Amino acid sequence: MVQYRALDAAFAAIADDTRRRVLERLGRGDATITELATAFDMTLTGMKKHVRVLEDARLVSTEKIGRVRYCRLGPRRLDDETAWIAKYHTMLDARLDRLEAFLERTKGDAP
Amino acid sequence: MTTSAAQQPGKATVTLSGDREIRIERIVNAPRDRVWKALTDPTLIAQWWGRGNTLDIEKHEPVRGGHWRYVEHAHGETHGFEGRFAEVVPQEKIVCTFEWDGMPGHVALQTLTLEDLGDGRTRISTVSLFHTGTDRDGMVSSGMEGGMNESYAALDRVLASMS
Repeated sequence: MVQYRALDAAFAAIADDTRRRVLERLGRGDATITELATAFDMTLTGMKKHVRVLEDARLVSTEKIGRVRYCRLGPRRLDDETAWIAKYHTMLDARLDRLEAFLERTKGDAP
Repeated sequence: MTTSAAQQPGKATVTLSGDREIRIERIVNAPRDRVWKALTDPTLIAQWWGRGNTLDIEKHEPVRGGHWRYVEHAHGETHGFEGRFAEVVPQEKIVCTFEWDGMPGHVALQTLTLEDLGDGRTRISTVSLFHTGTDRDGMVSSGMEGGMNESYAALDRVLASMS
């Protein structure tokens, strides 16, 4: 459906809503994979995959201390523009969610 | 690269093409005329666009060249969004620019199209194209100056013909 041209790894990493929210969460402080999985109501395996994509894009670094793997932002920072596009993306997604909920809620109302 | 979900209500398909274009598609359980109304009637827009926040619709002129400006109020902060409509085809298509007060000069061109699926459902497709600083730098270095000079030359001719 779409022709893919060279995609920036960071941009590809933030194409996913969960990963954008993980970045937002880590922006407020470091967290372990288990904490992230719990916060996002996901399996440990699912969260590990997301963190791996963010790590490959160098947006997140992880460190294993004992049996626990800690995640933090960096070393690469999103530039303002990429951050804005990510935020826009999350906003548009949220608006479409609301539109959909609104359409469901008003189903059967006078047109 | 791409994330996608089955085409069911509530599931968006998100794809990226190029590094500055985002497409989001989803199918809603509502006929196209209801979706169109929710997108264009200000009293209805106010009920969903703000994502649960209070929304002031300061301007909404859904015709080519018309302006829109919505202000969201959340947690004691206000967030203004605005743009101009580039194309409006009733029941089918809305093309407009989108800017957030917090990032002036970063403009996205949004194209939203509605497809009547014939079974009471509608496919909403959005394509957002970001005009980046890099794009603008590129324009300047690749001939926009030439275009400007041509415009000035034309202006000179007009002024000359008036004197």
